[in-house]
Amino acid sequence: MQDPLKGAATNRRQFLSLAGLGVLSVAGVGGLAGCTDKKANGPGTTSQSDLSKILPNYIPNTAVKPDMPAVVGANGAVSDPVFLRYPDSPVKTVAAIPGKGGSYTTMTPLWGAIPPSDGNSYYDAVNKALGVTLKIQPSDGTNYGNALPALFAADKLPDWIQIPGWNTSTLNFGQGVSKFADLTPYLAGDKIKDYPNLANIPTGAWQAGVWNGKLYGLPVYPGGAIISGTYFYRRDIFEKLNISPDSIKTPDDLAALGAQLTSASAGQWAFDDLFGDDANYVSQLFHFPQKWGIDSSGKLFHKYESQEIIEALNWYQKIVKAGHVHPDAIAGNNQNGKQRFWSGKVCITADGTGAWNGDDAKSGTAANPSYRRAAFKLMSSKGTPTVEIGPGAGMFGYLNAKLSEDKIKELLKVADYIAAPYGSAEWLVVNFGAEGDTYTMKDGNPALTEKGAKEVATTFQFLVTPSNQTTVQQGFPDVAKDYGTWQAEMVKYAVKPAFYAMNVTEPSQYSSIGKAVQDMIQDVKFGRKSVADYQETVKSWKSQGGDALRAFYEDIRNKYGTGQ
Amino acid sequence: MAAIDDGVAAPPALSSQPSAKAASGGRGLNWWGRLKRDRSLVIMTLPAVILLAVFSYGPMFGLITAFQAYDIYNGVAGSPFVGFDQFQRLFSDPLFWHALENTLVLSAVQLVLYFPIPIVLALLLNSIMSSKVRSFVQAIVYLPHFFGWVLVVVVFQEMLGGAGALNMFLRQHDMATWNIMTNPDTFKYLVTAQAVWKEAGWGIVVFLAALAAIDSSLYEAAAADGANRWRRLWHITLPGMRGVIVLLLVLRLGNALSIGFEQFILQRLAVGRDAAEVLDTFAYNYGLVGNNISYGTAAGLFKGIVSVALLLAANKVAHKFGEDGFYRR
Repeated sequence: MQDPLKGAATNRRQFLSLAGLGVLSVAGVGGLAGCTDKKANGPGTTSQSDLSKILPNYIPNTAVKPDMPAVVGANGAVSDPVFLRYPDSPVKTVAAIPGKGGSYTTMTPLWGAIPPSDGNSYYDAVNKALGVTLKIQPSDGTNYGNALPALFAADKLPDWIQIPGWNTSTLNFGQGVSKFADLTPYLAGDKIKDYPNLANIPTGAWQAGVWNGKLYGLPVYPGGAIISGTYFYRRDIFEKLNISPDSIKTPDDLAALGAQLTSASAGQWAFDDLFGDDANYVSQLFHFPQKWGIDSSGKLFHKYESQEIIEALNWYQKIVKAGHVHPDAIAGNNQNGKQRFWSGKVCITADGTGAWNGDDAKSGTAANPSYRRAAFKLMSSKGTPTVEIGPGAGMFGYLNAKLSEDKIKELLKVADYIAAPYGSAEWLVVNFGAEGDTYTMKDGNPALTEKGAKEVATTFQFLVTPSNQTTVQQGFPDVAKDYGTWQAEMVKYAVKPAFYAMNVTEPSQYSSIGKAVQDMIQDVKFGRKSVADYQETVKSWKSQGGDALRAFYEDIRNKYGTGQ
Repeated sequence: MAAIDDGVAAPPALSSQPSAKAASGGRGLNWWGRLKRDRSLVIMTLPAVILLAVFSYGPMFGLITAFQAYDIYNGVAGSPFVGFDQFQRLFSDPLFWHALENTLVLSAVQLVLYFPIPIVLALLLNSIMSSKVRSFVQAIVYLPHFFGWVLVVVVFQEMLGGAGALNMFLRQHDMATWNIMTNPDTFKYLVTAQAVWKEAGWGIVVFLAALAAIDSSLYEAAAADGANRWRRLWHITLPGMRGVIVLLLVLRLGNALSIGFEQFILQRLAVGRDAAEVLDTFAYNYGLVGNNISYGTAAGLFKGIVSVALLLAANKVAHKFGEDGFYRR
């Protein structure tokens, strides 16, 4: 790995000239945007004082009382309320059919099987209730970010599209967002009163939908405690072996379970991938940021440069070497991670918190009747644990700028219907379709019929969603209670990362410099390369743009603060 | 081809006399006349030409972005031209050279280990007398061709992976396990084995056709002269197949840089970038994924130019051997 470094040195002048070009094009963009807004700029972010004028007010609807209320944790984190039973007589939150018969194209990501679009009675039922035809076009979530640039380049954007926050960086979104409708005139401040269900979404959830001083995005799955994921264990296996999960407090405690839980000849391994893509799970264990952090002297540092990521790599290399990680996880097959956990081929895994729900319990108990998922309390390599929370919403729906004012108003009315809160009649329609057809009420909660299981998928909800809540799915109330309890404990350790919810658009010429480091992390994790190789790669990452990015963020910090 | 044309034209003797005449004495015709004469052939090739024009030649206009700093919001028309800057950056990128090296090594390994297998299979199949057994075997070796790479990799993982059938068997019998799927050092043999399993059966089709074209009276005559099996193989079968073998070898060399994409992107995590990065995945990972479209295009264009050069060179070699190659001299 000395060659890349040498190359980087000769590469540098070349790179700088390219960087110069980038600056030119950014300057051009600034000029263009300047026509509409004097404060507009490349970075995409907005000052705190401007935000307060743009963000919609929060007018909560408290018609339905949760069984376990939301818990306020540290740094503004709030757990989701838990509901164990759907109200017997759901309230109506939207008086009339919101749409006027318009027909609109949409595009949403979907992580799972894409349901049939022809003759889908769930789509038809929701569209009938909305009074419009939303052409639902789900697209594979894993490759969603790779499909978007071509869509933008061809200018073939649908009328209503969802774009996850993590996909905006390669889209140069501070510029790209101008292809979408500015919703500020419709929703800012008290104007949102025209849309009571949208007004029921907390103000903080809208913040990451603001770009260049204007509100563009409709929050998707807004929540007060969004984290990148956590560590799960098989509670049934732990109980059988008398392992106390609360005694597992550090990464070393976790690693020590490896030998006890691994029996390779029986096809059982202790761990699945515990590192995550780009270290997004392990960062919580070892206290390093998801992206940028601020050290004790006030200096900005990237996670790649931290001492903690090295500790994490060393820690993981040991676990892999000991043979305690499932071979398929080492082979990079992450799609089947859930199946391995359900079938008991692995006992401990890392996953998004969204993995912990009734559907999971249904699949798990089908593989093994005693299956029960649980999450460890937050672990920490040193001192009290911390966990970075994401913005109030991680994904947003955007309306096409080419739509007329009338059509935007129609779609906002439709959005208001889709955003109806839990406990309402509308929520049932949006999430389950028509009663008796795609769902029935079972033990006080809606459950999909066989037909519903084929046709219902998370589609309309990916356009706009009411505040997160934890509900009983597939008839597993314990899962809702377990998750609610765990989340109420977790929010106590929440911290806001640097540049929280600030929508900073990085200069596009740096968009692929991280790839080499990510590839190297993958090699070091599994012992194909050494930690020293990793440090060399980080050096070349710095010279290829890492240091320039730091300067860029330093500038953002001086102008706009860190959002914390 | 001419025979087919004549066959069609001949029966209605009176009305088609002019065209029959044209077919026999084509040299003196002008362009229009030749087009008129060959219209049915031209019409037959039209769908393929349209397909090529729309899906192969049309998109080539996008190659212009290799000389730009392409930006998705400015488009091809609005993006600034930067000359050969992308190529300069490409040629000073060690990761690119590494991807090229991997591609060439993998191509060479596949050429040596993969290319002869369909020929051998075709010869073996041809020697089976029972047509039932022959079509049964043929169907089995064909089948994997219709599997996607995802399925092929999954099958290999389930059979030979760390938790696959083979290693579970070894573990249960207290034997050392064998790391096949995640070993970067032997990755080139693994992907070749996968390619053989998936495509060798399909590859025999052309060779079987070539075998069928050999006049069986040659074998009879040779047998009557006392030539044994090996003599007949050496002096009749192989010379009869030589043209096809050389043609496929030429095409193969021309495609040396197109080693595949899916197979490598699917197994990149398992063995790491150093072993699995080939030119196509490089263009994808560092061009498309990072939204550096110009950079990826430059890598793709470079690959295209080298491929054409390779193809022409290989064709020249074919001509030296007295074969047609992919076009006649």
